[in-house]
Amino acid sequence: MTAVFAILMDSYRSLKAQRLFKTVLVLSILVIVGFASFGFNAKGMTLFFGAVTIDNEFIHADSPHAKTLYLGIFSAFIVNLWLAWVATILALISTSSIYPAFLSEGAVELVMSKPVRRTTLFIAKYIGGLLFVVLQVSVFCLGAFLVAGWRIDEWTVSIFLAIPLVTIFFSYLFCVNVLLGVVTRSTLVALLFTLLFWFMTFGVRTADDILHTVWFQGEAMMEHWEQNVESETQDLANYKRELAALEDEGSESGLQYYRSQIKRTESSLVSLEDELADRKKLLSQLKPWVTTINVLRWPLPETSRTIGLLQRWIDQGRDVTMNDIMTGKIFEDEEYEEEDDFNRDRNAQERMMQREEGISAGGIIGWSLLFELVVLILAWWVFVRRDY
Amino acid sequence: MSTAPVIAIDNVYKTFKRRVHALRGVSMRVHEGEIFGLLGPNGAGKSTLVKILMTVIRANKLSGTVLGRSVGHKPTLTQVGYLPEHHRFPKYLRAEQVLDYLAGLSGVPRRVRKKRIDEMLDLVGMRDWKRQRVGEFSKGMQQRIGIAQALMNDPKLLLLDEPTDGVDPVGRREIRDLLIRLRAEGRTVFINSHLLSELEMVCDRVSIMVKGRVAMEGTIDELTQDSRRYEITVKGTVPKDIVSSVDGRTESTTDGMMNLIVPTAQAESIQPVIDKLRGSGVVIHVVKPVRESLEDLFIRAIQTTGEDSATPGAVTGRRSKGGPEA
Repeated sequence: MTAVFAILMDSYRSLKAQRLFKTVLVLSILVIVGFASFGFNAKGMTLFFGAVTIDNEFIHADSPHAKTLYLGIFSAFIVNLWLAWVATILALISTSSIYPAFLSEGAVELVMSKPVRRTTLFIAKYIGGLLFVVLQVSVFCLGAFLVAGWRIDEWTVSIFLAIPLVTIFFSYLFCVNVLLGVVTRSTLVALLFTLLFWFMTFGVRTADDILHTVWFQGEAMMEHWEQNVESETQDLANYKRELAALEDEGSESGLQYYRSQIKRTESSLVSLEDELADRKKLLSQLKPWVTTINVLRWPLPETSRTIGLLQRWIDQGRDVTMNDIMTGKIFEDEEYEEEDDFNRDRNAQERMMQREEGISAGGIIGWSLLFELVVLILAWWVFVRRDY
Repeated sequence: MSTAPVIAIDNVYKTFKRRVHALRGVSMRVHEGEIFGLLGPNGAGKSTLVKILMTVIRANKLSGTVLGRSVGHKPTLTQVGYLPEHHRFPKYLRAEQVLDYLAGLSGVPRRVRKKRIDEMLDLVGMRDWKRQRVGEFSKGMQQRIGIAQALMNDPKLLLLDEPTDGVDPVGRREIRDLLIRLRAEGRTVFINSHLLSELEMVCDRVSIMVKGRVAMEGTIDELTQDSRRYEITVKGTVPKDIVSSVDGRTESTTDGMMNLIVPTAQAESIQPVIDKLRGSGVVIHVVKPVRESLEDLFIRAIQTTGEDSATPGAVTGRRSKGGPEA
């Protein structure tokens, strides 16, 4: 235990000595100040501590949406953009050197010759690396918690869930960084390839999201055309029934009307069926791509879904969610209700949301941690077996 | 001095990347309370051997013990201090933090560490720099800190790899005195060094490694036994019959004198020779016992254990117990 504590203490000292650690901390505080500068008054939203007001009839100090929006800005933008991107890149830059420096000639002999098992050294050093994120995010969340309490008068403890979530998210990348650092003993190679891995993960995930959105739009469209075909088929059957009834009565003008309706409907039905066939063909063409991207995504850690859990948990129990605000559901009126394209897009978006919500938090984190475990076992294996 | 082996290893083999045979059946004994010197040219396998003892690398084949426990037994290392060659401390740490960190890894309790930091820094003359970052230290200062950290866990066995590397002459003397003091305290010191003159002054026993094998091992007296002789410096020439009667040889000196070299270590044996020289009217300037220096021994070991030397311990002196070829 003394040895583990010594390693953790050393990790802390190492972080404290880094200029980048302090820089990220200062930048985090600035982001929190920026978050604090945003607020609400009776007319709408305010910027720069009330210097600018943006009038909004739906979102203002007395609106229940204000709280959702404020916390949504924290989880969807600040956490997503600052913590899960900028701060993570800076954290990777800071921590990439941990294992290569630890294993460099002259340093490694000092440590490996101590009465500490290599596995203990490996794990303690790993935890030490995660300290960077834990400390940074803790300070950040405390700031966000106080700011949110001050601004919307709601002490949202779930903000602190960002600490484990961002740490877990970072650990997916850090484990790759550790593996590369242990194998190559080069900070630069470890950093560059970790970033490459991250961007690859991002690329696969984005491609998957785009393909699924197109797929759901296609499905929605197909359902729309199927309804039209069904409706036209129904109309055609009605016209034919009416025509048969009139033929018994012998009214020529009525017969002509129904004959022309039947002709128009038949022709419309043909084009609708063609359209439907086209949609089906498009979906069948899309299917192998969707399957391929699913296979590609399957072994990768769920970086953004892990961060997305924060939004899910903050929205839990709220009547209006951040997604309702973002998709414009709270602003909807009759005019938009009638717009088919808008509805279809929203329908696809909702299906995407359902797809995301269909994946449990345990599934997202568990699967990603399994990936992390496999990578760490590889890194550990190299670490403990190598001659230094 | 007790003779219980603190380090007892047999047939240590290490091959890197299936090509480089670093150790080819090394056997060695280091006894309690002695200063043991490990010598050898670059690439002889000295550091590899030390790293194996310290579990930094693994041998392909090995049987042996350190402080009575199998090599590789991690808990035993709580009683071992180690100064690696070219060690590098984290630059962001202060001198006291380096000692605290590394002693912590050795399992030294915090309370004890706190007390020993000042003691050890005092011992190596670095107390005034305790709050200074080690990144700002000279090589010699880092070396002193290295020795201090190796002593933090109050070790029974101390392994020092090039301890005087980068240290000035005054510092070297201090380190020498420290080693002698540690021996007096009953600790065993194992030194790996290139500075033969330094080792000669402090080592009780040495081992010379060449090409992954132990070429010689023993006390300096044992190893130089065959080379011990008397040199009698005379003015003029030495009669040939005297030279042949003592089975000796002569050599001219730079100042016009002549040396008669008599192959004996016994002072009694030299007395009749002196009498004969005097009887012949030869003026004797100096009579002195001479033996090979450690450097001579080292060079001889390297030259004798050439590329084609098939058997470990091929050099005279106490032969090593080398194993078969790797």
